[in-house]
Amino acid sequence: MIEDDDRIRLALTLALEDEGYVVRSAATAEEGLLSQRREPADTVLVDLMLPGIDGFQCIRELRRTDDVPVVVISARDDTHDIVAALEAGADDYLVKPAATKELTARLRALRRRARPLPAAQPAELVLGELEVRPLAGEVLLRGEQLTLTRTEFRLLSELAEHAGQVLSRQQLLQRVWEYDFGDERLVDVHVGRLRQKIEDNPGSPQRLVTVRGLGYKMPR
Amino acid sequence: MRRPGLRTRVTAGFAVGALLVSAAMALLSYQVTERYLLDERERSAGRAVLSDAGIVRAGLSGDDPDELEVLRSLDTGANRRALLLREGVPYSRTVDSGLARNLPDSLVALVERGEPGVQRVRINDRPAMVFGVPLGPSTALYEVDYLHELDRSLKALALVLTLAAAGTAGAGALLGWYASRRVLRPLSTVADAARDIADGRLSARLDPETEPDLARLAASFNRMVDQLSARMERDRRFAADVSHELRSPLQTLSSAASVLQRRSANYDERTGLAARLLVEEVDRFQELVTDLLELARSDQPADVAATDIAALARQVCRSRGLPAELVVVAPDAGALWQVDRRRVEQVLANLVDNAQAHGGGAVAVRVGRDPGGHVLEVDDEGPGVSPADRDAIFDRFVRGRSAGARGNTEGTGLGLALVAQHVSAHGGTVQVLDRPGGGARFRVVLPREDA
Repeated sequence: MIEDDDRIRLALTLALEDEGYVVRSAATAEEGLLSQRREPADTVLVDLMLPGIDGFQCIRELRRTDDVPVVVISARDDTHDIVAALEAGADDYLVKPAATKELTARLRALRRRARPLPAAQPAELVLGELEVRPLAGEVLLRGEQLTLTRTEFRLLSELAEHAGQVLSRQQLLQRVWEYDFGDERLVDVHVGRLRQKIEDNPGSPQRLVTVRGLGYKMPR
Repeated sequence: MRRPGLRTRVTAGFAVGALLVSAAMALLSYQVTERYLLDERERSAGRAVLSDAGIVRAGLSGDDPDELEVLRSLDTGANRRALLLREGVPYSRTVDSGLARNLPDSLVALVERGEPGVQRVRINDRPAMVFGVPLGPSTALYEVDYLHELDRSLKALALVLTLAAAGTAGAGALLGWYASRRVLRPLSTVADAARDIADGRLSARLDPETEPDLARLAASFNRMVDQLSARMERDRRFAADVSHELRSPLQTLSSAASVLQRRSANYDERTGLAARLLVEEVDRFQELVTDLLELARSDQPADVAATDIAALARQVCRSRGLPAELVVVAPDAGALWQVDRRRVEQVLANLVDNAQAHGGGAVAVRVGRDPGGHVLEVDDEGPGVSPADRDAIFDRFVRGRSAGARGNTEGTGLGLALVAQHVSAHGGTVQVLDRPGGGARFRVVLPREDA
């Protein structure tokens, strides 16, 4: 956990430890990044307003080397900040004050997402120049391997498996994030990030298209 | 009656002004011309009459002169007629010109006193001048000069002048219309800029260069907008700071409260009670702050996008633990609405929560349309809302009457105020009606994008 407010850090640590988590905390992004390099955590919780390196920069630094799930927990609640944090590479976003129940539910969902997909998955989905191998956790574009975060990979696998079908944002939230109800901006930003990696021209997507008002689909 | 617009008034003013000036000028020039023409005519005719008088006097100087013969020798032209009055007997070249009967008495009296005179009269409805010249005792020559040609000319002149005056008034109106349009055009630029700013485009400014006469207005307008946007920016930053400063300690409270709650089994009775109060109040305070912060920024324009409204309504019901079957979608409702998804979700959620808290539970969530736009309705089977409370219920910190009986612990008192704010950000309306069969019906109408 990277959080500069001592009281919040202590209270969150107490609450999470009560729920059975082991928490290591840092007051600055520099300290947190160093600790993550030395002894990687399963999940990183990060505040946005930090002294020195801010939360957005911290997420980008983490993402350079790591696909560890990142959850932002911040007092900033305008769309601009939420989208910017998700675009920097965060997997989820919680606005303070976040209830312990809500936070642990998100952490559990993230852990489930990190697990390998059930073996019932097809070994390989081929969509034109794009190959998705759900079991191996690999994505190839024209034979070249792409680096995706776990959330991006689950999102791509879900869309590829249902190629030709429209999946609504709520369906994707349920199947990929495993949330009954959630913020649809999560889906939009992750689709945007995925397009940066799989589209030749992310500005006019061909492989992952928006169906206005309904959701997203990958044409067969 | 509505006051006529500035442009109408300016146009009418120009027209009336032009009409007054041109009518006065026309009248004046008519009178001057008429006076001049009549004087001129009087002088020339007078000279002719005097020379006629000389001829007649000479003709009558012999013994036993023939008066008619003398008159015949006069060259009176087409317009003049002569009448010789001798010893009370009129002599005339024509059989009867009616002149003898029409001689004005005042002129006859003047001539009888031995003085020549002239008078304007109408004979048989024709304008004329009558000249009288005494020729000796009880002898006088009268001549009438008919003016109908001159009169026709003057009538033509009057017509021309009237037309010119009317034309000038028309031209004045046209000028007024054009001038007012020119003068008002910069004002419509100001109006456009003001509308842009009201719509949230705070970058709108006026260019003081384009209209030098309005440079002061443009400068003050721009200064006003600068200060307004600086103030709004200050307010926005303040709201963001307040949000951050309130949310941060609430996070500590919330997490600490969850630790207390988890361990409540280990407390003695008094500690447990205190802990429960603390946890509940932290929860309520948290909701209050969240609603207040939302309310503080809810006057921002709606961020609209195509939204699957039926799916949204079902999702809200499910998130409240209610069956999705509560949602009734009218066949003509339309699948995708252009609305701010987050705000409409909160509108529905707050209305459903309100029905749960004060209306004995929501019994239907309707999605439909009417001529006014998109319609959302949330029905409950509670006691309804008395007509007196129907407006006040959307004010801040107003709680349902039944809430008082429960110790006033239910809700933040901001839920319906937020509904009203979100709806008005869409340009829509919200009202409470009686549900047929009892209970309240909250009805939200949002404008349709194609309307």
